[in-house]
Amino acid sequence: MLKTMLQYLIILLDEASVAYCHAPSKSPMREGLIPLETLRKGIVFAMKENLNIQFVYPERALPAEYEEVIESIDHTKIKPESQGGEADVIVLTDWNNGATDVVDGETCIIHASRTDLQVHLAKIQELLDKVVRLNNVLTDIETFKDEDIDGYRQVLDVLSGYLIEQFKAGRMVQLNLLTDRLFLTEMNNCGAGDTNVTLAPNGCFYLCPAFYYEDPKQNVGDITTGLLIKNRQLLRLDHAPICRHCDAYQCKRCIWMNSHMTLDVNTPSHQQCVVAHVERNASRALLQKMEAEGIQISNTHPISEINYLDPINNYKQWK
Amino acid sequence: MIKERQNEWHAGMSKNITFIVTKDCQLACKYCYLVGKNTKERMSWEVAKQAIDYILDREEEFLEESVIWDFIGGEPFLEIDLIDRICDYLKTEMYRRNHHWFNSYRFSFSTNGINYHTEKVQRFIEKNRNHLSIGITIDGTQRKHDLNRIWKTPEMEQGIMPKPEDERGSYKDVVRNIPLWLEQFPGASTKVTISSPDIPFIKESVLHLYSLGIKEVNINCVFEDVWKEGDDVLFEDQLTELADAIIDGRLYEDHACSFFQEHIGKPMDRERDNQNWCGAGMMLAVDAAGMFYPCTRFAQYSLRSKPAWIIGNIHDGIDKNKLRPFLTLDRCTQSTEECLNCEVASGCAWCQGENFDAADTHTVYQRATAICKMHKARVRANNYYWNKLFRKLELEGQQEEFERQKQKVREPKC
Repeated sequence: MLKTMLQYLIILLDEASVAYCHAPSKSPMREGLIPLETLRKGIVFAMKENLNIQFVYPERALPAEYEEVIESIDHTKIKPESQGGEADVIVLTDWNNGATDVVDGETCIIHASRTDLQVHLAKIQELLDKVVRLNNVLTDIETFKDEDIDGYRQVLDVLSGYLIEQFKAGRMVQLNLLTDRLFLTEMNNCGAGDTNVTLAPNGCFYLCPAFYYEDPKQNVGDITTGLLIKNRQLLRLDHAPICRHCDAYQCKRCIWMNSHMTLDVNTPSHQQCVVAHVERNASRALLQKMEAEGIQISNTHPISEINYLDPINNYKQWK
Repeated sequence: MIKERQNEWHAGMSKNITFIVTKDCQLACKYCYLVGKNTKERMSWEVAKQAIDYILDREEEFLEESVIWDFIGGEPFLEIDLIDRICDYLKTEMYRRNHHWFNSYRFSFSTNGINYHTEKVQRFIEKNRNHLSIGITIDGTQRKHDLNRIWKTPEMEQGIMPKPEDERGSYKDVVRNIPLWLEQFPGASTKVTISSPDIPFIKESVLHLYSLGIKEVNINCVFEDVWKEGDDVLFEDQLTELADAIIDGRLYEDHACSFFQEHIGKPMDRERDNQNWCGAGMMLAVDAAGMFYPCTRFAQYSLRSKPAWIIGNIHDGIDKNKLRPFLTLDRCTQSTEECLNCEVASGCAWCQGENFDAADTHTVYQRATAICKMHKARVRANNYYWNKLFRKLELEGQQEEFERQKQKVREPKC
């Protein structure tokens, strides 16, 4: 039996389901719908294990019988903007070129590098005018260099100023890079393999979609024989020696990136830590600006000043 | 009155840098963890020089006050010409650069001892005498040594193993060099490895090594999962008999055996006793291809079931991200609840490389526990040893003297 801490089942409806996090932005595989029988089994699995389902849609429309099965259970929909309509989360795959008319009042996800954010600041602001929440997946964390820190700080500072304007106008818009940390008092990470697991169209489970897209052989069981996550404790915060001492609570703590960059799922790279801390500190600055402007948002918490960007540099203080 | 085991040179303050100069060896020891030995991967001078230049060019990144330049194989002395050139270059460069390691360095070797007497090796020893540590591995009596430490045959490279009656042990080829070695390094210790088949010969082997003049025997069970049902009972019996022989023969006065240590076999505190066992990640190893590893056990020739854990190379440097998992390794995070709650936990060792190799996933955070029952057997024999010895000292009126002399004995670091 699964441990109770597992809460979500992510079902990729197609081999080319839209990427909504650090997974490769396009599936290298051919398009191919999840077999209807696998979809049904996935739903039953989630029902028996008491999991909330998140369906991840492809760019193309699903056959009617699929929608019928999907609607048989309470769920969340993650869709590309081309499939818009009734989605809980919309992924804007062409945000810096395409129209954004579909996003009014939605929660949206974009993929943007640090440079994209700089170049397309106006477009980001345009999106922030419309959405209730904008999640940016920073696409160049793996190549982030220490000399990029100042540039990223500046981008976040500009966006912070824009959020202040929105708040003053009475719009409590959220931008994950800046506002998530304001409300957190403990880690709120991705939770791949810990609080959520992914079912792929091939009927196999994965820690997250990225492991499937990267290599389908990296499965952790299948819908017939069950879920088998070895060394699952290493996916938990208490078994992540750096993260358990960290207060960049908004960090995704992406275990797929960990497995690439440090070769161990429980250890984040220097880059992931630095980016998360630049964002954390930018959140702190945003909070200070809000206080200076007399803007009050309930449930925010003070963020202390720290003198490091990579917690491993603070290692001696942990003991 | 009781011989203590010697501390390692500059333990805890030195950087250990290992040159895997060859992956070849004259022997094919049955318990050897080096599953990928071969005759092809021999380090070139160019690779060695680039590795040295890379390290010495970055003095600010290697702040340890001392360095141990370690040479291993296979059998390192097969490459004595290269080693001699490396050491000459190291000395010259450390001096020329006024490097803080100049005059705070050691050249260290673990050898099978077969080539120890040769002219080239002896010339090298003479040249570097004051900065050398050399350990010769001899496993004990001839029957114990020859059980595992056999000569390699050309057929073995094709995967054809000799019949037991055709195996050729290496005892006589090693033991002839022990007197010369002890003459040159009077305080030298030897390292003995125990696997399942040689448990019955532990007692006679340790006593035999003492009789050869070796005062300190460092001995450990292999970490791999080789143990059979009943091995722990046999092991405990052997150690108990060895304890009797050491105490009754008063050998404890001037000999040491790492099996018996006063402070092992106690519960461990999760916070106070949370340090990692070995220095993997704090060390650096480089092989013939110029690849860097956190320790030699992470090179491909050491791994049965995992890909090598490469942390960089002599051209691109060290990728510090690949080292991060090692920098925060602690006992509790990698141990099972059973290990954490174990009442005889102290002194129970692990090898980070074997942990990685045996792990269910690609991680250094899963502790292998194949030696569990052997450790518990050792603890029982160790308790017997110290209870017997303390009573003897008490009856002889020497306990106070012992208490004055004793120092906390630390386990050897791999």
